[in-house]
Amino acid sequence: MVSTEAAISWVLKAGAILSALLICLGFFIGLNIVWLGVLLLILTPFMRVVIAGFCFLSQRDMLFFIIALYVILILVIGSLLKF
Amino acid sequence: MEPLMLIFILVFGVFAGGFGSMLGLGGGVFMMPFFILVLNIPAHQAVALSLLGVIASSNLAGSIYIRDRISNLKLAMVLETCTVTGGVLGVFIALAMPVNFVKILLGLVLIYASFMMIKGSRSEEILVQREGRLALSGEYYDDVEGRAVKYSAIRVKVGLFASMFAGAISGIVGVGGGVILMPIMKLVMKVPMKACAATNNFMVGVTAAASTIIYFNNGVVDLYMAIPTVLGIMIGAYVGTRLMVRTESALLRGLLGIVLSFSGILLLLRAGGILVW
Repeated sequence: MVSTEAAISWVLKAGAILSALLICLGFFIGLNIVWLGVLLLILTPFMRVVIAGFCFLSQRDMLFFIIALYVILILVIGSLLKF
Repeated sequence: MEPLMLIFILVFGVFAGGFGSMLGLGGGVFMMPFFILVLNIPAHQAVALSLLGVIASSNLAGSIYIRDRISNLKLAMVLETCTVTGGVLGVFIALAMPVNFVKILLGLVLIYASFMMIKGSRSEEILVQREGRLALSGEYYDDVEGRAVKYSAIRVKVGLFASMFAGAISGIVGVGGGVILMPIMKLVMKVPMKACAATNNFMVGVTAAASTIIYFNNGVVDLYMAIPTVLGIMIGAYVGTRLMVRTESALLRGLLGIVLSFSGILLLLRAGGILVW
């Protein structure tokens, strides 16, 4: 069983490296790859909240599961807003 | 845009990411005045780019601090409920206000940050212990002192209020999630300095992401300029975190503090129409 902290650390590291690679590649290939890299960069912190939520749920820590759900809800609302 | 400009941004990003992570302020405090005063980039666009840099360095530093359990995950999650809410609200406040509002607020935040930086943080730490479900206790191993440090965060309500404010400021001016929250966490919530800095580094990414996703979906992020900004700050933050230069150096803090207050004053003068270029 991997600890919550280790899982989050892994997600953040993978997101950081992958997004940097895509953004770097995009410089040579095209802006649509840069777009993908920037999107991945922004979604990485989202992913670590989702992972934390799952971990809290599996530990039956309902209070912190709800806290994670609220953060995810706000992030989803934010990503749907248009101006 | 010419390649020279991209290299210029990349080099400055390395500098901003490096010093930002060493001082625990994040690269944004240096990127924002650079974008607005030197490159003359429109304010909202500069904010979106700076926030991308904040996310990039937080992903990197956060992965290290959470692995080493110096970041307090539960404390971070509780405060994040308010920082992300503030982060979303901040974007809409920024859009509703005239552009000069962003510059004035940024100027004030920079001057505040420079004061915090020059003053340093040498006040005595009093650690509190609490029990209970929402005690938000933490424990980390301090390798300088060679012992485990145990603590509990207190006055969580004040912390939540400050988090909302910090999130909004960060969404409006692209800086400051950490600058505003750090002193509150340390002085009011009684979280020890090392845990404070690590938890903040971990939190600012999600706070900035809440604002950035809105700017990104509405086409405010300039992808071309995002390349050197993100890569530069990541290189700088990586080197800065690795070097672990504990910037007790009063001279460095002082010099960078002066640079920050000087840019803050320039921003205020320009927003007031006293300086034009």
